[in-house]
Amino acid sequence: MVELAPSAPGHRPPPHPDGEPLVELSDLSTGYERTPVLRNVDFTLRRGEFAGVVGPSGSGKTTLLRAIAGQTRRFAGAIKATPRAGERALRLGYVPQVEAINWNFPLTVGQAVLLGRWREMGWRPWPRRHDRELLANILDRLGIGHLANRQIRALSGGQQQRTFLARALIGDPDLLLLDEPTSGVDIKTRHEIMHLLGELNRAGTTILMSTHDLNAVATHLPRLVCVGEGALIADGSPEDVLTPEVLRRTYGAEMLVLRRGDAIYVVEHLDDAMTGESEETPLPATPVGG
Amino acid sequence: MGDLTDPFQFEFFVRGMVAATLVGVLCGAVGVYVVLRSLAYIGHGLAHSIFGGAVVSFVSGISFYIGATLWGVFTVLLINAVARRRQIGGDAAIGIITTCAFALGVALISRHGQFTRDFDAALFGEILGITSGDLTVIGGVLVLAAAVVFAFWKQLLFTTFDSDVASTYGVPVPWVEALFSLVLAATVIASLQVLGATLIAAALVIPPVTARLLTDSFTRMFALAALLGGASGLVGVYVSWFINVSSGATVVLLQGALFAVALAWAVARSRWPGTGSGERLAAIEGAAID
Ligand SMILES: Nc1ncnc2c1ncn2[C@@H]1O[C@H](COP(=O)(O)OP(=O)(O)OP(=O)(O)O)[C@@H](O)[C@H]1O
Ligand SMILES: [Mg+2]
Repeated sequence: MVELAPSAPGHRPPPHPDGEPLVELSDLSTGYERTPVLRNVDFTLRRGEFAGVVGPSGSGKTTLLRAIAGQTRRFAGAIKATPRAGERALRLGYVPQVEAINWNFPLTVGQAVLLGRWREMGWRPWPRRHDRELLANILDRLGIGHLANRQIRALSGGQQQRTFLARALIGDPDLLLLDEPTSGVDIKTRHEIMHLLGELNRAGTTILMSTHDLNAVATHLPRLVCVGEGALIADGSPEDVLTPEVLRRTYGAEMLVLRRGDAIYVVEHLDDAMTGESEETPLPATPVGG
Repeated sequence: MGDLTDPFQFEFFVRGMVAATLVGVLCGAVGVYVVLRSLAYIGHGLAHSIFGGAVVSFVSGISFYIGATLWGVFTVLLINAVARRRQIGGDAAIGIITTCAFALGVALISRHGQFTRDFDAALFGEILGITSGDLTVIGGVLVLAAAVVFAFWKQLLFTTFDSDVASTYGVPVPWVEALFSLVLAATVIASLQVLGATLIAAALVIPPVTARLLTDSFTRMFALAALLGGASGLVGVYVSWFINVSSGATVVLLQGALFAVALAWAVARSRWPGTGSGERLAAIEGAAID
């Protein structure tokens, strides 16, 4: 029997419908150069939320995160951010997709992470004692304290993710934007990363992350946004969002959604014999997808 | 022993040696950013384009240094803007813009006919013809570059590593780019008399790439590149006196030889099993810095 509810850290914490809005996208069309990639997006992220962005490759997950991070061109609509009291801009922690990082760059883990604190470090090119202590703390907390002097390529996938997560966290962000933080890592590391993010969220950090992993990641988040064909298809709790209908419109493919109590399981690749059958279909002996 | 100190009795020689050392340090340090942005040929192109600027300032009667600097900054910003379009790579952008700027100079010369003076030096360099005025300019540019690099160390590093993410973290990227363009243009102009347009590319690229082979840390790469550039300038000009070879060419050939040694060493190191990367790194640093 397949385990339907892989134990997830902080298994689906409650959503935060009452938090104050941190970022509001209203009727936003955004993209690159001449063409908008996302059109007419309405999306509000509240303080304390933990939301996921799912959708097929090229649908605009990265673009949505980059729009909030101010890296895309705005064609229409507005983005409104609410910084903390006394500050002019929202503090963002941005963790790029692995593919977007220049791994050959001569940076050590410590140097890369300190970039996230460049403003607080003052005029000096070198870190002061306080900066170094903070760096050591954050690396230790993420379990990469012994790697501070390694070049960023000479790391495992999980260690690379943690390095750039550390760069995001060292700036004490209001909002963490993570682009596929669990891609290219094994099950255990994925579990650890999600556990860590869950902890950060419980401690008050607002998180928006994209993922391709519907079952091991998306179904455990309190809120999901589906992006497909350049628009938001659905937005809500996994129970509401992960339906065959929404998944068909998002991915353009038939998928089966299984529910057992609290747990949701999306069967991603159906063969012909399975399509059209009811949600009570017993699981295949070997799980597919994921 | 008298033979070896022979050249020092000539003031022009001493001036040439000082100039080559300063230019070596300058190009080595600035070249780190050039190489890490994959703009290796910008030095070569810029030197030619500044030839256009030199002619324009001559024709319009403004000071060479002011005219050529403005021209150079404009060229670098234009290259940046063109290279950012995804259809055109950095190398093509450099090729188009700098050759056009050069051609403009040639066109003006052929139209005005009468002057060929001084421009030979701009193309091939004339280390032993350095005046104390040139030396002042070189010193001034070195101080400017050092001040900019020191004051904007973190911003420059972040922008070079990942300009999009840098802007998300609050780095004023357009300003940093403009400042860097200024430093780069000033560097090329100050180096023209010493190395000439054809050798500037080498001085900007070879020491940083050699340094990259020797370390994975940005800070060390920067220090090593400046050191290698300065040392090869000093030694190159000195040696050229005895072997009766053009000083600029000797400096660059020396840099090439250092690169070859570093490459051979890096290859040997990677084939040498049994040494931990930490020890190897320590060995490199010891060898390179002592
Ligand atoms: N810098 C860019 N300039 C122009 N178009 C781009 C750029 N980056 C992405 N696009 C286009 O925008 C669309 C959305 O890309 P995006 O990177 O947001 O997709 P994604 O959902 O993150 O995909 P993946 O899952 O593969 O990471 C794609 O069609 C892509 O070709
Ligand atoms: Mg993406």
